[in-house]
Amino acid sequence: MHDIRYNAVDDEVLVPNPFSNAILTFRGGADGQEPPVRIIQGPNTELNGPDLLAIDVVHKEIFVPNRGGVLVFPLDGNGDVRPKRAIRGPETQIEGSSIAVDPVHDLFAVTGRDKAILVFSRTASGNAKPLHIIRGPNTQIDRINQMAIYPEGKLLVVAMPGVQGDMEPPRVFVGMWSLDDDGDVAPKWTLTGKQTGLKKPFAVALNPEHKELYVTDMRLNGVMTFSVPEIFQH
Amino acid sequence: MALGRKRRWLVVSGVLAVTGLMMLSLWAAMPQEVRSRIAAAVQVHTRAGNLERKPLRYIKDPNPAWSSIAVNAENNMVVMTDENLFRVVEYSRLDNTPPKARFTEPKRIISGDQTRMEMLCGAYIDPKTLDVYVTNNDTQDWMPVFSRNAKGNVPPDRLLATPHRTWGITGDETRQELYMTIQYPSAVVVYRKTAANNDAPLRMLEGDATELADPHGIALDLKNDLMIVSNHGHRRFYGGAAVSTLEKETWEEWIGKTTADLNTLPRRYIPGAGKFELPSINIYARNASGNTPPLRVIKGPKTQLNWPSHVAVHEDRGEIFVANDADDSILVFKTSDSGDVAPVRMIKGPKTRVKNPTGLTLDVKNNELWVANMGNFAATVFPITAEGDVVPLRVIRGGPADQIGLMIGNPGAIGYDSKRQQILVPN
Repeated sequence: MHDIRYNAVDDEVLVPNPFSNAILTFRGGADGQEPPVRIIQGPNTELNGPDLLAIDVVHKEIFVPNRGGVLVFPLDGNGDVRPKRAIRGPETQIEGSSIAVDPVHDLFAVTGRDKAILVFSRTASGNAKPLHIIRGPNTQIDRINQMAIYPEGKLLVVAMPGVQGDMEPPRVFVGMWSLDDDGDVAPKWTLTGKQTGLKKPFAVALNPEHKELYVTDMRLNGVMTFSVPEIFQH
Repeated sequence: MALGRKRRWLVVSGVLAVTGLMMLSLWAAMPQEVRSRIAAAVQVHTRAGNLERKPLRYIKDPNPAWSSIAVNAENNMVVMTDENLFRVVEYSRLDNTPPKARFTEPKRIISGDQTRMEMLCGAYIDPKTLDVYVTNNDTQDWMPVFSRNAKGNVPPDRLLATPHRTWGITGDETRQELYMTIQYPSAVVVYRKTAANNDAPLRMLEGDATELADPHGIALDLKNDLMIVSNHGHRRFYGGAAVSTLEKETWEEWIGKTTADLNTLPRRYIPGAGKFELPSINIYARNASGNTPPLRVIKGPKTQLNWPSHVAVHEDRGEIFVANDADDSILVFKTSDSGDVAPVRMIKGPKTRVKNPTGLTLDVKNNELWVANMGNFAATVFPITAEGDVVPLRVIRGGPADQIGLMIGNPGAIGYDSKRQQILVPN
């Protein structure tokens, strides 16, 4: 599994399953071999190997990157449901599958062609152009894994595990950009360096209440908690 | 004069090109530690600063997670792959960790950034050369081969580029072939045993009729000319035979590239179609290829299959042994079984020390069954006829007896449950 999202409003956990082409919703606090409470799966879904996802608990939507596009489903979708809308087409420049949603500013960020982060309107549909494109050598993006958004700070936090296939890539970091950033811009903040111990950061999650950032590291098979009050000031 | 300047320019360009190539080669040959130090000197630049600091908390299992096991009885050689610490380790077949010992020291460890090994999941020992073949799942699309003497952080003696999500491995010494399972897109690939670099497989088994569904373990019954494959049950559909999206590219050209999709088999599924099926043991003709259906399938609630992982066949007894990961059990079926049948024997219970078994192999010479347990970093050895809640004959532990494995493996995502203040880590 390459993504997991907690829905604090309905106390549910969502995960994608590319091998069975499905989105699974579990009860919050699910344990053991408990079955999901809902499964989105079937020919009407248009799902094609969903690997990552994001949720918007305010507008009750699930965002699923889908081979060069993004499908949007209702958060309570179950069975062979059609997407509410799809963002796809050459103008979108969408490529890859990392995604995060900002329900406060009505935006979502997704990975794009040529190592880019694309920012769209949350309600974008069809062959829409991104509002902002973060791309270029100053971004120092080699590869993007899981992304998270701190909506109150309009801040995007991205796990950058370095060049694909390299066992211990020389450039790895957690990068942070404003959702207003555009063009070839360096990250506002990074989390990297010897003290962090990070070798291949694969995933990120935020805890604004305790001002903490959680990072998983593939090379370490470990989970780290960092105190980062700076990024929660706004 | 113009010609002379041009010649000088050509010489200078040539020298620069050769120097550049030499530097690239030197960089590639440099140990990772040195490369990392050099790279660290070139700091990532930011607008507001690098928040470099130590983590407040760090969850990490210091013990191994045994994912597969292979035994060579003639040389008392036991090899296990460690998916947590990214190691191949060798023990003696007769090792037995004393109850109060923290762990047994391996005879040999292969590990490090030169080895091309990360999420290790399969092992095979060449019975003649004692070379060790291992499969990587998800993060390294390689099958490294190490010689009998390989030790420490060494490059593999041979390397084969394999499709993304390769899992199980076994060999046919008679025909000098290697069999591997690919989880997704579901397939069995068969290579020449000596295959290396970007070599293409000899044949593949894939397509809707095969009923392959997230295949894991693979074993051969050469006496009866059968191939046995365990499946977790995740399925997608082509609408018939597998549909390749390779057009003009050869296999060698395709697998030689680095792409965003890694080396995922380029296949076109029917969008939207997918299914969760019950786990199964599929039995095929040994040389099945293309979109060929299984001869028979063991599947259904009576089987108690639950994430069936590595499998092994005892040809003379006509039995299939299954590491039944999610049920903390070992199941035994007859090779002639079909449909929804109960296992003929089961090893399960607290005395067995079987906990999330993924690895399994047979030592036919000594009539022993070996189990690699991911959940408690122990290899447990049983008589081949063992049944029920039995005490193992021997145990080789890689960690303390009073601890269990965290089983964090390739944590590709993380979530935070704010209600329970819990960190969610899928693997």
